[in-house]
Order: sequence, then structure tokens, then C-alpha cells
Amino acid sequence: MDVSQYLEIFIDETNGHLQILSDCIMTLEKEPENMDMINEIFRAAHSLKGMAGTMGFKRMQRLTHDMENVFQEVRSGNMSVTSSLVDVLFQCLDAIEAYLDNVKESSDEGTDDNEAIIKELNEILAAGTGNETEEEKKPEQTEEKKADGDEKYPKKYLEMEFPEKAKEELREAEKKGMNIYGLSVFIQEECLLKAARAFLVFKAVEDFGNIIVYNPSSQDIEDEKFDFDFSFYMVSNEDLEKIMEVAQAVSEIEKVIGEKTTYSELTAAAEKREVAEAKAAAKKDSEKKAEEKGTAPAAASASAPAAQAAPAKKSTPGKPVTNRTVRVDIEKLDALMNQVSELIIAKNSLVSIGATSDGNSGSANSQAFHEQIEYLERITTGLHESVMKVRMVPIESVVQKFPRMIRDLSKKLDKKMELHMTGEDTELDRTVVDQIGDPLQHLLRNSADHGLENAELRRKRGKPEVGTIHLNAFQEGNNVIIEVSDDGNGIDTESVKNKAIERGLITPEQGAALSQKEIIDFLFMPSFSMAKKISDVSGRGVGLDVVKSNIEALGGDVEVKSVLGEGSKFIVRLPLTLAIIQALMVEVRGEKYAISLGSIETIEEIVPDEIKFVQAKEVIHIRGMVIPLVRLDQLLDCEPNDKERESLTVIIVRKGDKFAGLIVDELDGQQEIVIKSLGKYINNSTKIISGATVLGDGEVALILDVNTLF
Amino acid sequence: MANNVSIAENGRKQFIVVKIGSEQYGIDISYVDNIVRMQKITRVPKVQPYFKGIINLRGEIVPVMSIRTKMDLEPDEFTDVTRIIILKLEEHGVLGIVVDEVKEVVTLAPDEIEKVSYDAKNSKSNFINGVGKNGEELISLFDTNSIIDETEAV
Repeated sequence: MDVSQYLEIFIDETNGHLQILSDCIMTLEKEPENMDMINEIFRAAHSLKGMAGTMGFKRMQRLTHDMENVFQEVRSGNMSVTSSLVDVLFQCLDAIEAYLDNVKESSDEGTDDNEAIIKELNEILAAGTGNETEEEKKPEQTEEKKADGDEKYPKKYLEMEFPEKAKEELREAEKKGMNIYGLSVFIQEECLLKAARAFLVFKAVEDFGNIIVYNPSSQDIEDEKFDFDFSFYMVSNEDLEKIMEVAQAVSEIEKVIGEKTTYSELTAAAEKREVAEAKAAAKKDSEKKAEEKGTAPAAASASAPAAQAAPAKKSTPGKPVTNRTVRVDIEKLDALMNQVSELIIAKNSLVSIGATSDGNSGSANSQAFHEQIEYLERITTGLHESVMKVRMVPIESVVQKFPRMIRDLSKKLDKKMELHMTGEDTELDRTVVDQIGDPLQHLLRNSADHGLENAELRRKRGKPEVGTIHLNAFQEGNNVIIEVSDDGNGIDTESVKNKAIERGLITPEQGAALSQKEIIDFLFMPSFSMAKKISDVSGRGVGLDVVKSNIEALGGDVEVKSVLGEGSKFIVRLPLTLAIIQALMVEVRGEKYAISLGSIETIEEIVPDEIKFVQAKEVIHIRGMVIPLVRLDQLLDCEPNDKERESLTVIIVRKGDKFAGLIVDELDGQQEIVIKSLGKYINNSTKIISGATVLGDGEVALILDVNTLF
Repeated sequence: MANNVSIAENGRKQFIVVKIGSEQYGIDISYVDNIVRMQKITRVPKVQPYFKGIINLRGEIVPVMSIRTKMDLEPDEFTDVTRIIILKLEEHGVLGIVVDEVKEVVTLAPDEIEKVSYDAKNSKSNFINGVGKNGEELISLFDTNSIIDETEAV
């Protein structure tokens, strides 16, 4: 079967299942008795196995199969969850992830069999269950036990009823020396053409012999009146293996089970069925209690096959609640976004035409025109918001792998630590989310490795033995803030300074004059590592500088707050959107600039007398705050203006808890602007200009990134 | 890299002949996306001095470079015949360069192009990778890539 078209979905869903597994196993380690988690894990592992099988990734299938076996035992209470089991399970997840990476790169799972892990799994399985299997080997239960081992695939053919005519045929065939085989075929739940698959199976096996009896009836199968499995008995001279092989070869067939039987066994089985039914009903009842839901079909009145089908269904992965979503290629969204951008530019031109034609006619016509423009404005703003929302994804997809990472680090570094996360549902533009993972991961590693002290030192300092790392995400204006903080040692600015002096970056005299912030900035310099020895966790000096440049490439920045002995906090600030923002248009010496509305706090009119000097820098004192002033004309190298105006317009901007006042000449009102890049050719190293935008009249305005002013 | 100019089927190449100062220069036509009239260039502060700024080309932002400033000639004087030549390179996007005048399009056969030696010290000659002979006139042929590469490097 050509599966390449499903590859993307496979990769996507496998990632999802891996994440679920990882999360659940983490929880399970803390609460080994949590049945919900075990069930969830089982479902995910089972889906993984099914998908790997469908795609023909045999090694992956095998590994997941063995994992599933372990979960099966855990679920049935034969094994308990231990730390070592969790370790092995995580190894499995890593191995599956490695397979997945191979698949991503080459559409092939690779050749690593991961025998060691499989062996370990099986050892655990044997150790965990070995002593208990003995007592269960009561004669009449052997059958049941076997079925339990692979509960999703019960031997349904055992539950079939035989019309007299079929019995007759079977007996005849047996006399002729043919073998009687009972087979059950399980079709994947995603399969859309079940009847067609069934037909293919029948066609394939009929090359080897005759099918005597079907369950459900052949008519029902043809009409797709069956769940995801069907059974049949056939007579053949061929080996069972061969028949099962051809049946399994039909695509979208999940599993074929079968065995050789005899006529006398069959008649005996029919009697046994009574017992099995009762058992199944009991089992179902208990499962029902566990689930505390009455979703399963009523047990008592259900006919025999239905009652049997119910437990089988339970163990198959729960069908996802139909979530009404559509997968869309990000490129299509980009195209949509571009078109919305164009629309907004066109709308802005209409607005500016409307504004210019204002003076000459006050007629009803012109008023209608304005009303329509306002209407259009509302629509475009709404459209923009909708498109933006479509592109927004919660950062959850990125941060959810961190608890696992911290757990691993905790073992590796032999430090006790906990990760607390809040605001996982904070949403960011998809492109930002895709790229924020690595920097955040790095910051967390940094906190774990450099930040947190070992348990002994923590005890000495009167801190709880278990170190805490917080990852908090929240929205602030047009930015999303992600803070990574720890209650560890904090940054030792003295030793950073010494290191900088030692490396010849600064002289001791210069060092003495540096502020704490300036010293911390050294940490963001390329190949500046404070780790005393290189570990595989960190310390290679490739780090914070990359974090910083990655984040800056996304239009964000990083800030550090640290108190020696108490911990440090890395604050990552990211723009909410990358494409369209609400901005205040200002003029400086006739040049137009746009300032993101999100960073503007207030706008003040001041007289030059209000400007005071602190450390030879201009400041104003407003409502109890001393705010440094920035003269934009000077900052932007405009032609100097010789005469001071009588009143100055000051835009108070804010970044975190810092403020600055920008002196501009004119305010041109608020506008929705489409951010366009300046291109690669312009060396915009100061980053004061974060981009440009085309105004309604075709003029170009530059976008000021006020975050760079602090 | 320096010889990376497109070659027409018969080995002949087309160049747009422009005037910058008193000299004539040829620009390989395969790199030329567009030629537009002089328009308002929005100054961008704090960038390389030879960037005049950016223009709006049908909704796209295009950086505009002064080839005169780059070659240490006198600053541009904008006249009625001043044009901005929009160059397009596949991976690098678009870039406008200001020229004093666009004269004509010429087709040069390989034997009409003489390679010039590369002189690393003379920054001006770095942009030229050949001299074309169009009848009696000589045309310095721009090496389009070096114009762009260097701007990136600075």
C-alpha cells in the first residue's frame, strides 16, 4: 500500500501519542495507582502500535507492542509501577522518537532494532508477572488467559454459532482430511471501506479453501453491518500460517488471529460459550464501574455477539471525541494573511482618500461614503483578528516536553528539582511557537545545571532540598512574556566580572564601573561560559548568545534578573503577532514613524521647562515617576531643529517596569499597519527600526521598536 | 561567482546600459526585474551610508542603494531621467539601485566582452567584471553579485 500520503498525519499523530505517553508516565510515576493514567497510556501505546503497523514500520510496531504488553500487565494489576520501569519506558519513548525522526527524514524507520530495550522490557514483564501466572493456570481458564494477553483481539471465532448445514460441511471436510481453521480478522478503526477490506480478505483466503461459516453473516459483512472485526471458519489443505499471512497482507487490516481446530472441539466450544458469556458480562460490569459511565450498551439485553464485542471495544483506543478541526498547511495561512494585509493597505488608502475629500463636500454622499469606510474598517479589523487567531497556537505544544526533560536532568545531574509551569495556554503566532522551543529548553537546562545548587548546599542555605524551576507564560499588551526562574544560586556577578577581565574583555578599572546589568550581559556573549567544567548538559559556551539571537530574530528580547543566593529569572519577551499591529503614527521632522500601540503607556504635552537633568540626561517628572527622555530627532539622525518649541509632545512608552518618554513633533493618529521587513540588504544592526509599512497614500513609514531604547 | 552571468543560447548576453556620472555601465538584463522612475525614498536611519532608504514598489518594500556613494562618486543628483533599477536575485530578494539615466539595451557577443583583472585594493573595480565593446563605446559591465554580496557583508 502506498502510505506516503499518510506520512504527515502519521508523524503528527505519533508525536501526539508520544507526548500523551510521556505526560502520563510522568504522572504515573507520582501516582502509580492512577487507573485513568494507565488506561490512557494503554490507549496511546495501542494507537501507536496500530499506526506503526499500518505504515509498515515493523520495528516500531514491535517495540510498541512490547510496551503495550507491559501496560497490559500494569493495567490488570499484575505489575506495579516502579521507578526503574518508568526509566525503561522513557527509553522506549526515546527510541520511538528516534524511529520517528528517521521516518521524518527518510520516510523509513531506520534499522535500529533496540533489542536491548525490548529485552529489558520483557525482563521487567517476566519479573513482574512471572509468579502470578502459575496460579492462573486453572484448566478452563487457559483459553481466557491467552485471550487476555492480547485482549483487543479476542478469539471471536470461538463465539460463533453453527447452523446444522455448516456443521455438516465441516464434518465432511474433516473426513476428507482437510483442516478446519477458525479465524478472526480485525480491521483498523480508521478504515473507511470495511466491507471492501473484508471482501479482499475473503478473496485472498478462498484461494486456499472454502469458507464455511461467517460471523456476522456474509450478507451483513457486505452491507458493512459489523464493527471492526469479523470471524469465519474455513476448511483448507494449506497451512494456517499461510492463510493468515495473506489475510494480514490486505491493507488496513489490523490483526488476523486464528487457529486450527477440529469438529469435536467446535461443538465443545459452543457449550463453553455459555460460561464465557457470563464471564464477559461480569467483566463488563466491573469495567463499567471503573469507568463510572453507562456508555456501554446495556449488558443484560444484548445478544451474545454484542456482549462479547463490548469488552473488546473497551480496550481498543477510545475514539477521539469528534473535534471539529481542519488541518491547514501553514503556507496557506500565510497566503491568507498576506491577502488580508493587502486588503488592509487598500482599506487604508480608502480612508486617506476619504480624509482628503472631506473638505470639499459635506453632502449626504460623502457621509454615506464615510459610513461605508467605517464599516469596511470594522470588517477588515475583524478579519485580521480572525486570521491571527487561526495562526495562534498555545505554547503548550512546546512546553509540554519540559517536565520530562527536567526529570531526566534531575537524574543526570543528581539534583532534586521540580518544574512548575503556568500559562501553557498562552497563545502565540505559530511561527514564533515553532522556534521558541530551543531557547526555552536552553534556559531551563541553564537553570537546572547552573542555577540550582545541589541538595547539600541547599540544606546549608536553609532552602528546601528540592529545587524549583518556574516557567510562567502570560500576555502583556502586544507581547507575550515567558519567564524562566529558579530558586537557585543566582548569578554571581563578581565571578562573571572576573571572568570577563580574565578573558581580556574589559580592564579591571572598567569592571569596577559596570552595573550589574552590564555584567550579566556578558553571559549573552558568544563563547562565554561560566561552567567550571564542560558537561553534556551545558557549559560549552554555545548557549545564551544563541538564545538571545534566536529570540531577537523573532522580534523579542531577553532580560535577566538575579539575586545572588536567591535565584535568577530570565524574562523572554515575544511579540504577539508578526504581521499586523495597531500603531500610533508620529512625525519627526516630516518623517513618519509608527510606534506599536501595545508599548505606549500615555501621551503627554509638556513645556520645555519641565525637562530636568539627572546625570546629564534629560528626564521629566510626571505623576511621581522620573522618566528619561529620548529626542527622536536626535536618535534618528534627523536634521537638527534649531528652535525649541513651546510645547513638546512626549509619548511615554513602557517595557516591563521601565518607562521612557519619546519626544515627537506631530501625532498622526492610530492606524492598523502591516509590518514589512526592510530586507536583508540593509544592515539594521541597531534594530531601532524593526520594519516598514506602506501607508494608505502609498508612502512608506518606518516602524520604531521602542524596546531597543531601554 | 564573478562569471555568474546568464548566457543566451548563442552565447550573446543582453545588458541594460545606464549612465552613472560620466561613464556607461551595463547591467545583465537577467537580473533586472523592473525599472522605475525616481520616487520618494524613505530614509532609514542608522544603516549603511550608501543606502538611500526604502521605497514602496506596488506594496512591497524595496531597499534602494546609491551606487554612486558606494563607488565613492559624488552624491546623486536627481533629475527627470534618474531611474531606479530594481534588481532581483532569486535568494536575496529585490534591491533598487539609483542610476542617472537608462540609455538602451545592447546585445553583446562573447568576443565583444573583455574580462578585467580583479583588483582587490580598488573597491570601485570590484563591481566590474568585464568591459563590453558596443561599436565605438565602451561599457563597464557590473558584476551584479558583487554589488549585493558586499552590501551584505558590510
